[in-house]
Amino acid sequence: MTVLASIRDLAVTYRRDGSEVAALRNINLDIIAGERLAIIGESGSGKSTLALAIAGLLPQSARTEGSIEWISQPLSGAKAPPSVLPDISPSRGEIGSSAAGSFQPTSAPTSSAIGESGNRRTISPLEGEMSGRTEGGLVGRRGQESASKPNHNLLLGRDIGFVFQDPSASLDPVMAIGKQIAEVVHTHLGLDWRQSFAKAITLLERVRLPDPDSALHAFPHQLSGGQKQRVAIAAAIAAGPKLLIADEATSALDTIVQAEIVALIRRLVAEDGMTLLFISHDIALAAELAERIAVFRHGELIELGGTGQIVNAPTQAYTRALLDAHIGLDAAPLLNRNGLNA
Amino acid sequence: MSLLTVSNLTKRYSRGGKTLAAVDDVSFHMEPGETLALAGPSGSGKSTIARLVLRLIEPDGGRIEFEGDDFLTLRGAPLRARRGRLQMVFQDPLAAFNPRATVARVLDDPLRIHGVASRSERPRRIAALLERVGLAADLAPRAIHEISGGQRQRVAIARAIATKPSLIVLDEAVSALDVSVRGQILSLLLDLQRQERIAYLFISHDLGVVRAVAHRVILLDAGQIAESGDARAVIDAPQSAIGKALVAAAPKLNRNRP
Amino acid sequence: MSRLRRFLRTPEALAGAILLAVLFAMALSASLLFPGDPQAIAGPALLPPFQNWSLPLGTDRLGRDVLVELFHGARTSLAVGLAAAATALVIGAVVGTLAGFAGGLVDEVLMRITDAFQTVPGFLLALAFVSVVGPSLGVVVVAIALGTWTGPARIARAEVLSIRERDYVAGARVIGMHPLEIAFREVLPNALPPVLAMSSVIVAAAILTEAALSFLGLGDPNRVTWGGMIAEGRTVLRTAPFLSIVPGIALLLTVLGVYLAGEGIVETTAVRRGLS
Repeated sequence: MTVLASIRDLAVTYRRDGSEVAALRNINLDIIAGERLAIIGESGSGKSTLALAIAGLLPQSARTEGSIEWISQPLSGAKAPPSVLPDISPSRGEIGSSAAGSFQPTSAPTSSAIGESGNRRTISPLEGEMSGRTEGGLVGRRGQESASKPNHNLLLGRDIGFVFQDPSASLDPVMAIGKQIAEVVHTHLGLDWRQSFAKAITLLERVRLPDPDSALHAFPHQLSGGQKQRVAIAAAIAAGPKLLIADEATSALDTIVQAEIVALIRRLVAEDGMTLLFISHDIALAAELAERIAVFRHGELIELGGTGQIVNAPTQAYTRALLDAHIGLDAAPLLNRNGLNA
Repeated sequence: MSLLTVSNLTKRYSRGGKTLAAVDDVSFHMEPGETLALAGPSGSGKSTIARLVLRLIEPDGGRIEFEGDDFLTLRGAPLRARRGRLQMVFQDPLAAFNPRATVARVLDDPLRIHGVASRSERPRRIAALLERVGLAADLAPRAIHEISGGQRQRVAIARAIATKPSLIVLDEAVSALDVSVRGQILSLLLDLQRQERIAYLFISHDLGVVRAVAHRVILLDAGQIAESGDARAVIDAPQSAIGKALVAAAPKLNRNRP
Repeated sequence: MSRLRRFLRTPEALAGAILLAVLFAMALSASLLFPGDPQAIAGPALLPPFQNWSLPLGTDRLGRDVLVELFHGARTSLAVGLAAAATALVIGAVVGTLAGFAGGLVDEVLMRITDAFQTVPGFLLALAFVSVVGPSLGVVVVAIALGTWTGPARIARAEVLSIRERDYVAGARVIGMHPLEIAFREVLPNALPPVLAMSSVIVAAAILTEAALSFLGLGDPNRVTWGGMIAEGRTVLRTAPFLSIVPGIALLLTVLGVYLAGEGIVETTAVRRGLS
């Protein structure tokens, strides 16, 4: 079991009109490489803030404390299955305190790390224009400011794929979807445009978009909500990220499409050996997909455990309340059936 | 006499030169005090039916009879007067109110428009409405954007019941709420139904909720009725393809019950 | 309060606000500081500025005090500019809201009328209107508004078209609200911000149009206007250029002040929208 990211004492505060609102408090969480981890909670629980913090997408006005340390495989070998990773836990502290803002492969000598860091700088101008888009930009800058801040040294787009709730907001409405995906490939994998477009077709096939060749030239408004989300997922996994974050990625879709997208995510994560962070308000949906569930409430992590334990033997009253509030197909009717004739 | 009788309702849209039927020859009826659910995937026409019944959009064909009158022939002032009997609660309670409104203004409007209460009497009626939906009366001066989502949906329900309607269309009215709030809102709605004999046209994509609160269900697919009947019977053993797909897709929590 | 502070923090807005404050002070104090007829003869004709400290800006062709004229001219410029802009915004907002909300034939008719007004240059329209009806302050205000209401109308209509599809408008219909009440109570107030963002440009344009009309002798003859002063000075432009330059600078600073302050307001509200 290898830890991919280790979150320690993470706190996020938003400043709004002079007052400060704590969105996350004292979060300690290890994300295990290759796992499917669900973060569930109601609105205001901080679950989306956590996703943004991990992806390095928090707005400038947010203040963060604590650390997010990335402990993982070398950059190029993103597809290496987690099981063959060297055990690197002893050097974790070292990486955490590194202020270089670069992703340091622990097994590689330091010189290589510097090379990587230089490489990263050259991409950094993209950050501004690309943040908020599916592929996102660079997430390493803040590492230099202070060692106490979270060390975002994975590259969003290449090392982290992010799928948002609203695919219309994350896709460029005036760019053909093939170009949008090819752009991610071109930017992060350094392929030429012809290869990038070929890869885009493969990706559209992988997300099971009907007729990928013509879909390449389609614009987002010509697709249904479910199809747009498939495209957003294709863009998110285009560069072969280690971590896929799905932030309420199925909440805007109807039940049938939701089930299809969840099945798609499950398959892609398994095929590529990705780690999945599945953010949801729906405990039943999370339980169907995830191996572990973290329950958030009011900015705090209140319970973390295996799906079976959370569902069948929750230790916290709040978790039990969430489970009881689920109205499944076997729920006792709320309706007084005699009411109609009374 | 049925409360609402919808016959051969049809609504077509043209998109890119093609004509699509959003609602295709749909007929159903509702009795007073009944909850009828319309369920189906997105694009199945359930929200379009809701808007047709509310006369927010006009159909291309069919008939709607509400409380014994031909509802589609009503225009202008008579239609506005009748609207007090047929109300709606929207999915997103924030979008459903003027962003500049206060709770008091939102509740004052229907009382004023339908002459339910005189100007001097209205503050008391507003307080009573707020209490009826489980809110404190001192919430009245607050702005809509200041209160929580659950409170907003209660205010929406208070506005809907202000004119003593016989039918309320609930368009995904609990889908955007947190699960803990959803249960409370559902029991408030059922409580109101028991006491005031209000019928609900319950639009939802969540079969679990439909099964728990509806008497009857209509499953829609591509604008047509795929299946209909007793809510529990249909959902426990769906016959149509879309019914089977919806049931299969519903997230299930496999708890070991003691 | 914090909005005002944010507004004053931007240097352009601060400069604009100061210019406008000075202008308003001039307009308001004109009859206090210089009671009596501003067109009365105060001294020898064509006295250059800074020669006689009782007439610091000198006198014009007829021996009238330029400083007094400048103060009273500020009044006319501001009054006409603001009144014309307000009239244009009200007409524009009402027409745009009706067109956008009603749709169909009403929209078609109102927008063709808007087109008709827009195709005629605003200044020509004002010129024609004043020459037919005759120059007076009220007529000048209406004349300027006639040429400027189309912009606000188009913006209001576009905004209303998007707002009328919102749930809360459907909600207002469901509770049986009268369409006119929905249009003007529910829709219009939410459609106003982008229309108001135009107001600084409209005020500045209205002040310039008023000056141009006065320059052509179509202003209210009973009032001192900066445009009229420039026209007066034109005949002696070679010998006494200051007679045209002084009111010209006043005009320039006014338009600049209005524009900068307007930009500042747009900036502050944009920042607010970005934050929320």
